[in-house]
Amino acid sequence: MNRRQLFSGLASLGVRDHAPADMVMPMVGGGIEPYDQPLTLDDVYHLFRRIGVGPSYASAKTYVGKLAADVVSELLGAEDEPAPAPPGTWINATTENPLGADLQTRFAIYAGWNNQMAALSNWWIKQMASEPKGVEKLTMFWSGHFTTEFSFDETYVPPQSMWRQYLMLRKDRLGDFRELTLDVTVDNAMVWYLGGHFNEVGKPNENYARELLELFTVGIGWYTEGDVKEAARVLTGWKSARYNDEPTGPNGIFNAYFAAQRHDVGAKQFLGQSIPGRTADNNTEYQVKNEEIRRLIEIIFEQRPVEASRFIARKLYRYFVYCSPTEVDETMVEALGKIFRDNNWKIKPMVHALFSSAHFFDPGLRGAQIKTPAEFCAGVMRQLGVEFNDPQSWTKKMDQALMDPPNVAGWPGYHYWISTNSYPVRRQFARTIIDSMTDDQVMTFIKQFTDYDVADKFVREVCRLLLPVTVNSARHDYYVKTLLQNAPSYDWPKILDEKPAAAQRTRGLLVAISKAPDFQLS
Amino acid sequence: MKRRNFLTSTTAAAVGTQLLGGVPLRAFSPFELLPTLAEENDRILIVIQMFGGNDGLNTIIPCEDPLYYKLRPDIGVKQTDAINLLSKVYMHPALDPANTYNMKRMLEDGRLAIVQNVGYENPNLSHFRSTDIWLSGFNSSNPDDRLVDGWLGRFFAKTTPGFPDVLPPDPLAVQIGGTLSMLFQSPKGDVGIALTDPDKFFELGKGLSPDLDPMPGDTRYEREFNFVRMVAEQSDRYSQVIKDAFDRGKNMVKYDDNGFVRQMQLVARLISGGLKSKVYMVYMGGFDTHVQQQNDDNTGLHPFLLESLTKGVGQFMQDMIMQGQADRVVGLTASEFGRRPEQNGSRGTDHGAASVQFVFGNRVRSGVFGNAPDLGNFNENGDLRYQYDFRRIYTDVMETWFGGTPEDTESIFGERILPLGVLQDPVSVRDAYVGRTKATIRAYPNPAATSMFLEWRQDVPASVVVEIWGTEGRFVGTEFRGNVQPGVVRLPLSPAVGAGSYLCAVTVNGVRNVVPVTFMR
Repeated sequence: MNRRQLFSGLASLGVRDHAPADMVMPMVGGGIEPYDQPLTLDDVYHLFRRIGVGPSYASAKTYVGKLAADVVSELLGAEDEPAPAPPGTWINATTENPLGADLQTRFAIYAGWNNQMAALSNWWIKQMASEPKGVEKLTMFWSGHFTTEFSFDETYVPPQSMWRQYLMLRKDRLGDFRELTLDVTVDNAMVWYLGGHFNEVGKPNENYARELLELFTVGIGWYTEGDVKEAARVLTGWKSARYNDEPTGPNGIFNAYFAAQRHDVGAKQFLGQSIPGRTADNNTEYQVKNEEIRRLIEIIFEQRPVEASRFIARKLYRYFVYCSPTEVDETMVEALGKIFRDNNWKIKPMVHALFSSAHFFDPGLRGAQIKTPAEFCAGVMRQLGVEFNDPQSWTKKMDQALMDPPNVAGWPGYHYWISTNSYPVRRQFARTIIDSMTDDQVMTFIKQFTDYDVADKFVREVCRLLLPVTVNSARHDYYVKTLLQNAPSYDWPKILDEKPAAAQRTRGLLVAISKAPDFQLS
Repeated sequence: MKRRNFLTSTTAAAVGTQLLGGVPLRAFSPFELLPTLAEENDRILIVIQMFGGNDGLNTIIPCEDPLYYKLRPDIGVKQTDAINLLSKVYMHPALDPANTYNMKRMLEDGRLAIVQNVGYENPNLSHFRSTDIWLSGFNSSNPDDRLVDGWLGRFFAKTTPGFPDVLPPDPLAVQIGGTLSMLFQSPKGDVGIALTDPDKFFELGKGLSPDLDPMPGDTRYEREFNFVRMVAEQSDRYSQVIKDAFDRGKNMVKYDDNGFVRQMQLVARLISGGLKSKVYMVYMGGFDTHVQQQNDDNTGLHPFLLESLTKGVGQFMQDMIMQGQADRVVGLTASEFGRRPEQNGSRGTDHGAASVQFVFGNRVRSGVFGNAPDLGNFNENGDLRYQYDFRRIYTDVMETWFGGTPEDTESIFGERILPLGVLQDPVSVRDAYVGRTKATIRAYPNPAATSMFLEWRQDVPASVVVEIWGTEGRFVGTEFRGNVQPGVVRLPLSPAVGAGSYLCAVTVNGVRNVVPVTFMR
C-alpha cells in the first residue's frame, strides 16, 4: 500500500467526495502570472467576496473593465491606513487584578470585560460590513494566525489589550513580516497569553517559543526541541501590564515591559547560530529587543527561508483561495513564497500578487470557499443593507468568537465551519435578518439593480450578487417562480407599485436563496 | 464471507458437517434451537478527549519512587495525600472526591482499567500534530503527511453498509459541543454530528433539508456544495431523532453542575432514550498546565480538571448501572501527550510524551496495565518512554467491542496492531461448544537463547496461527500457520528477531492468547 494513499484515507474506501493529496481535481488553469483581462462584473464580485466580505452591486459596477492589479492595490489599502475610531471610551478603562479582589468585585470585573469584548467584536463585524476595502479581513487573517484567546484557562486577557493588539495587527498587516512578528512577540496580550509573563532565567516557560516556531513562522519539522528551549531563553524577562494595582513598567498599562533581572543574559545557540551573551550594562529593554529578539526572528527567516515563506504563503492561500487541507496548490505556494522572499519579507507584494493572479480568477476555484462566520454575518448585513444588533452573539453560536479562538492554533476552518451545530444557526441568522428588513429597505435593495423591473433579469442579478456561481436554468426558474408566486412575469412591474407586496415577494426570494447550500460559499 | 455471517447461515441450514477453520461443526447441534443472536451490535463507546496534554505523572503517581519528588519538589503529590490503589500505584486525591461514585470506586468495583505509559514512536510535542496523530490513528513524523480524518470515521465508513449514500436512521456518532472532531471525519464524509442542546437543535434543525438536489459533478464548488447540503440534511433528519431520544430518556442520578459532567449527563440521557449512536465524544480543555498547575494542598487547575473527570465518569457510570445499560458502554480517555517529568519554573509542566489512559465500563479487564513510569530512563528530550502504542486500545475497541476483524484494523491503521486485551472477549455458549476458548500457553525455556517451545492442551482440532509482535503492539512476523490435532500441542518457536522481549500471539480457533517471550541471542 502506498503510504500517501493511506494518509488521504483512500486505501480501503474508494474515492468519493474526498480526493487524494497528490492528484485530483481538474487542474486550475492559471498560475501566478497577472490576470490581464479587463474585469467583468462576475470577476469583480469574486474579488470582493474573497478580499473582503462581499460586494454590493453599486460599488462592484464601478470596477468593471478595470485591471485586477489596479483594483487590488486600491482594495488592500495604504500601509498607513488611518486608524478607525475606537469602539468606546472603555478602551482605556483600568481595573485592579480580579484575583486579588473579593468575589463580588471579581465577577463585576469579569462581567465588564465580557461586555467590552462583545462591544469590540460587534464593532469589528460592523467595520467589515461597512468598509469599502479589504483592510479588516486581512487584519482578521493575522488575528487568526497570531492567535490570542480573550478567555483561556479560567482567566482573561483584558479587552483593552485585545484592542491594542488589533490596532497593531492592522498597522502591520502589509509590512515586513519580521516586524509584525517582533511586535507580536512583545505584545502585551501575547506575553500574557502564551506564558511569556512567567518566562524567567533559570525557570524557562517554552510555551511562546514553541508556538513562535510551530504556528507563527516556520511550521513543524524545521527545528529541534533544543531550538525551542534556546528560543525560550532568548524570550525570558517580559512582563505583561494589565492592572492598575500592579507595576506597569516604563511603557504604561496595557503595554508589555522588560524586567532585566528576569532575563537570561547567557549566550544562546539557535538553529545553528549564536546569539551572544550580554552583561548587566546592556541588559535593557531596547537592547534585548533589538539585539536578541529581532535577531532570533531574523535567524528563522535566514536559516529556513523556503520553509517559512511557504508556510505563510500556504496559510494565506488556504484562507483566501481554497481551504481544503489536501488541495493546496503547491506551485502557487512556492510562487508566492518566492515573491515573499524576493521582497525581503514584505507582505504586500505577496498578497497583491495572489489577488491579481490568473490562478485566483480561475473559474475552477470560484464558489469553493466556505465563508467564515464573521464573513458570513458581515456579508449578509452588507449585501442586504441592514444594520443588525449584536452580530457577535451569532458568530459565537457559529463557533467563532472573534479574538477568542478555541486554542492557540486558531480556527481549523474549512469543513469545521459547517456542522449540525453551526449550520442551523447560519440559516436562522439569514432568516432573521431577511425578516427584519422593512419594506423600504427591501425596495432599496430591489431598486439598486439596473433592470429591476424585469422579473427575469432581477432574479438573475440577485443570484449573481448573492451566490458565487451562476445558477442553472432550472434553479433560476424556480427562483423566478418563488418571487412571482404564480403571477405571470409581466405582472412584476405592477407588483412593484405595491410596496408591501413587492417587499413580501422579494423576502421570499431572499429566503429561498439563503436556503441554498452555496449561500454558505464564496 | 465473514465468520459471523457464516455461522448464521450454517445455523439456518443446519445440515451436514461444515468445516470452519478446520473445526467440524456438528450437524443438529442443540444451539440451533436458540434464537439467532442479534447480529446488530448495540454497543456504545464514549471517547473523552482531554485537550492540552494531561499530566499522567500527577494523575497516577509513582509515590514510592524518590526520583518523582526530585523531579517535582513543588508540585509533587505527597505520598500521604495520594490514594494507594495497588502496590506502588497511587492516584491523585482529586480523583476520589467524597459523596459521589468515582473512578477510584470504579476500580474497586472492577469497572476501571488504568493503562500506563501509552504513547508512540518519536513523540511529537505539538498539541496539534499530536492530537491529529491520536485522532487519525496514524503516527507519521513526516510533517508533509496530512492527517485529515479519524480512525473511527474510517472504521464506520468502511463497516456501515450503504454509507454515505444512505444516511443511517440514527447518527453513527455524536459529538457533544463544538465543531465536529477529526475523529468522525472520513474520506466518504462525516460519520458524526455535533450536538450542543437537543431542544435548540430541534427548533433550528427541523425543516432544513435543502430544496435542491446534490450537484452531479466533482468540481471543487460542487463538492463543497454537496458537503453543506449533506449537513443540512443531517440537521433536519437527526434533530428529530435526537429530540425523540432526549424526550424519552432520563437520568436517574444527580449530576454535578459542571460543564464536562453535564456533557456526560446528556450522553446518558440519549443512551437511556434509545438513540442508536455507536460513539459519543465529549471534550475537556485546559490540560495545558504550563503555569501554576497545582497548589500545596492538592487544589488548583489540574486537580480541578481531574475532579471533573472522575465525577463525570462516575456519575455517568452509576446512571448507566441504575438504568441497566452498563453492559453496553465502554469509555476511554485520550490526551495528546503527557507532561515533562521535571517541573518547570512556573510551578507547571511543559509538553511531554507517554502518559496514562483510562478505560472504563462493566466489560473492561479492571486493573493496572503497564509498568510504573521509569523516571531514571528518559528519552533525549527528558521525557518518558512509551510502553504501549496508543492504537492498541483502539484495536480492542474495533475488534472486541465493535466486532471488526484484524483486516479492518489493518486497513484503518495501515499496519497490524495487537489489541491490548483491556476489554473482555465475549465468549458465547456457542464459542465454547466449538472450542473457541482461551488456551493456557506455556513457553519454555523463557528466556531462551534462540529457540523455545510453545505448549498447550486442546480438546478439539484447531487452526493455529503463531505471530511475534513488538511489546508496544506492532506486528513483527508470522511464525506458524496450520491445523493441529487434539491433545497436547507442542510447537517450536525460533523467530528471526534480534535479542529482546516480544509478545507471542497464539491464535487457536480464532481465539488469541498472548504470552511474553524473551530471546537473548
